[in-house]
Amino acid sequence: MTWHVAPLSDSPPILCPPVDAPRSAYVHIPFCRRRCFYCDFPIAVAGDRARGETSPRIQHYVETLCREIAATSVQGGSLETVFFGGGTPSLLSVDQVEQILTALRDRFSIADGAEISMEMDPGTFTADTLGALHRLGINRVSLGVQSFQDDLLAACGRTHRRVDVEAAIAAIQQVGLKNWSLDLISGLPHQTLADWEAGLHQAIAANPAHLSIYDLTIEPNTVFHRRYAPGDAPLPSDDHTTAMYRLAQHTLTAAGYDHYEISNYARSGYQCRHNRVYWQNRAYYGFGMGATSYTQHQRFGRPRTTHDYEAWVAAHEQQGGHLAIAPTPPGEQLFDHLMVGLRLAEGVDLDRLATQFGAAVIPILRDRLQPFVEKGWVGFAEAPTPRVYLTDPEGFLFSNVVLIALFETWGDRGN
Amino acid sequence: MTDVPVSRIRNFCIIAHIDHGKSTLADRLLQKTGTVSDREMKDQFLDTMDLERERGITIKLQAARMNYTAQDGKGYVLNLIDTPGHVDFAYEVSRSLAACEGALLVVDASQGVEAQTLANVYLALEHDLEVIPVLNKIDLPGADPDRIKQEIEDIIGLDCSGAILASAKEGKGIDEILESIVYLVPPPQDTVEEPLRALIFDSYYDPYRGVIVYFRVMDGTLKKGDRVRLMASKKEYDIDELGVLSPTQVQVDELHAGEVGYFAAAIKAVEDARVGDTITLVKQAATQPLPGYVEAKPMVFCGLFPTDSDQFEDLREALEKLRLSDAALQYEPETSSAMGFGFRCGFLGLLHMEIVQERLEREYNLDLITTAPSVIYRVTLLDGSTVDIDNPSTLPDPQERIKIEEPYVRVEMITPEEFVGALMELCQSRRGDFKDMKYLAQGRTSLVYELPLAEVVTDFFDQLKSRSRGYASMEYHLIGYRENPLVRLDILINGDPADPLATIVHRDKAYYVGKALVEKLKELIPRHQFKIPLQAAIGSRIVASESIPALRKDVLSKCYGGDISRKKKLLQKQAKGKKRLKAIGTVDVPQEAFMAVLKLT
Repeated sequence: MTWHVAPLSDSPPILCPPVDAPRSAYVHIPFCRRRCFYCDFPIAVAGDRARGETSPRIQHYVETLCREIAATSVQGGSLETVFFGGGTPSLLSVDQVEQILTALRDRFSIADGAEISMEMDPGTFTADTLGALHRLGINRVSLGVQSFQDDLLAACGRTHRRVDVEAAIAAIQQVGLKNWSLDLISGLPHQTLADWEAGLHQAIAANPAHLSIYDLTIEPNTVFHRRYAPGDAPLPSDDHTTAMYRLAQHTLTAAGYDHYEISNYARSGYQCRHNRVYWQNRAYYGFGMGATSYTQHQRFGRPRTTHDYEAWVAAHEQQGGHLAIAPTPPGEQLFDHLMVGLRLAEGVDLDRLATQFGAAVIPILRDRLQPFVEKGWVGFAEAPTPRVYLTDPEGFLFSNVVLIALFETWGDRGN
Repeated sequence: MTDVPVSRIRNFCIIAHIDHGKSTLADRLLQKTGTVSDREMKDQFLDTMDLERERGITIKLQAARMNYTAQDGKGYVLNLIDTPGHVDFAYEVSRSLAACEGALLVVDASQGVEAQTLANVYLALEHDLEVIPVLNKIDLPGADPDRIKQEIEDIIGLDCSGAILASAKEGKGIDEILESIVYLVPPPQDTVEEPLRALIFDSYYDPYRGVIVYFRVMDGTLKKGDRVRLMASKKEYDIDELGVLSPTQVQVDELHAGEVGYFAAAIKAVEDARVGDTITLVKQAATQPLPGYVEAKPMVFCGLFPTDSDQFEDLREALEKLRLSDAALQYEPETSSAMGFGFRCGFLGLLHMEIVQERLEREYNLDLITTAPSVIYRVTLLDGSTVDIDNPSTLPDPQERIKIEEPYVRVEMITPEEFVGALMELCQSRRGDFKDMKYLAQGRTSLVYELPLAEVVTDFFDQLKSRSRGYASMEYHLIGYRENPLVRLDILINGDPADPLATIVHRDKAYYVGKALVEKLKELIPRHQFKIPLQAAIGSRIVASESIPALRKDVLSKCYGGDISRKKKLLQKQAKGKKRLKAIGTVDVPQEAFMAVLKLT
């Protein structure tokens, strides 16, 4: 283990934390039937009839993906979490999922009791296929419901409808999978507060162990970006979407869900272990087109088209799985650590922060955040361990303002 | 090189509208006379500043000496004196004309005479210059030389029977032009025996040799080593270096009446050798200076503030350096409660202001906030005394003053007929008084208005261009001061007066301007975590108000592994944007807001 001291002229040194051994893997399945109007993810549109078992293109992709897994150097112990994200991973056939899991087991091995999640879209699976996936080891499902209203689903370019949502929930219940999550989007065009409230109650009635509640973001290069200006009709106003956020916080907390991250809620014991790895800024492998990995302090985003990704895998195999990119400098790592860590309700552990980056950062952090403590956005807790956190919901709602103050301190340094 | 009889010298300039081909024609003359070889030829040899080259316009004038053997077999020296082509530099143009006996009037044969050309031709005729009309670009498909000749005769009253048809681009008509210069332009008066008087028509600052002065010897002889006196600045210097421009500097030992050249004499700043000043010998001084010298008088003022207050000293140094080469630039320190420390700067006009700003940002790497331009108001106080106010925020309160007068200009526009209505509407909306309208020829009209200068220095020129689809041209000159019911319009942001946003407006327009201004500010100022009232006020009376609703949230909804780098960039962008904001009270205001008053129409 080596400790570097980053040269900084005008403030105490920031230590470089020791390298963290990755125990998590993200697997990206880019295929979707259509591109949703809000989506700017690296995806490949495969058409409404696309299925993994009948599409040579999907099969070819799975093989390339498995080659990448096999070529990657092993840096830690067996995997504790695996996450199939997309795209629409539920377009894969059961065999293809098995093929990928086998590749992961062969290369890294998967720990007993590991969390293996898969994002699934209503209308792309049945109770039978879900049962088969469950037997393969998929033990957590994230269901992309987004809305229970057909008009809102249509307005954001989704292919599924309410009837598909109901069938999907029934399938999950039939298989007996308890650890599942339901996604909802607030701030959709034409969505009213009443719509939103009804959706929240329908979600609670489905009894998921976990909920992700996303406030719609209009990203550049999306259909929504071309059609709408943020804050202008038919999009709900900022006041409305803020009310939606507060309503979700209130309703879901009352229903027994813990608001453990800015956009995530879970019953006790059902937080997403994989996503917590991101929010604690720990290391993880990434596989597939557009996937990001964070190993050896190197954050690497793979090419965002299937064609470029394939060429990259071939080159990667040739180079013996070595990534020739610069590690994130310590100052930036510190900023990353705070940026993701403050998303969690529990916040950032200050003892761990001091151990990793040096005790000198703690007084600077306290000083920079003091104005926000006074505003009631930031809290410092001393027991059981000292930590800093954003308050719910005020601190969460203005988290960028807090982060920008931290960015000015650590994010923009050439260290 | 210098031994040329006065009778064989011809001094001339070129009068042309932007784009009518002045620089190309000058290039051809240099090539044809062998002054510059084809190999050395860069396009538009006379325009040396990068900025000029980029904009394709001449800002600083220069000169070139050409040797030409005419068809009579005799050798002549032709001095071309370049003139700037923008209305901001009318004084410099007049001094260049005073150094010549003749002028080529170059008109685009497909376009016709433009307002600026007209103004300069009149100026040339006032100086008794022989004006030779040249119709350029006759090779273009749209060229109609007969129509344009008719137009020149109608508007200017200049006989065009001998007008030269030319295409500078294709080298047509160049010989004819050279012969016409020899035969039509009179030689200078032979006053070699009289005491030295030389006219400065340009100067620039060279960091190694000091100021390089361009001059025309009107009387007498100037020799290397002479001790000279500049009659207006009253400073004395020894001539270290004397030469001619061919067009690069070539040293000579002496220059006599009629000749054009340059000298260096360890002069520290161009303000010590101003355009229009008269050079004479200390030993045998002339009794009277040459007529026409005028002090540089800035017409437009604005505040320049560094975005980063640490750059104040850098800005001071940059202005000091620019001033060495730009005598018309004026500045003095200004402190604003909102903007911190900066400078109040005076310029000849809007283009001059733009050039200075651009040079400060480009050559000196400064990040500047510029306040909206203002003119000089003359305020009469209760005791009858007057004060000049160039900064609206310093206007005395109504109970302390009797009246306010503002500068007026006479604006002459030339436009295709179909835009006359649009331009009249523009002038009317800018408090203009209609003076004259003349039908010229072929569907073109000249329109004359008298307007408050304050209404012209905002975006008048841009509006003129956009309302005439680029076809109209304009020229203006100061005609004096007039009293008007003017008021100071203050802007309050969250209750705090924002002095850089204060403007002086006509009472009848205050409501409209105030309303438009707060609406514009509502667009430009980002939302804060609190509601921000925006108010426009005259004294304690609020004439317009708006408010920026509070920001309810600023949060990244999603942030997983793959999002971290991208979201970080987003925050970085926000952090950078924040740096470029100026705090007025508790509100962060972006730079564009300080120029908002310019964008109201």
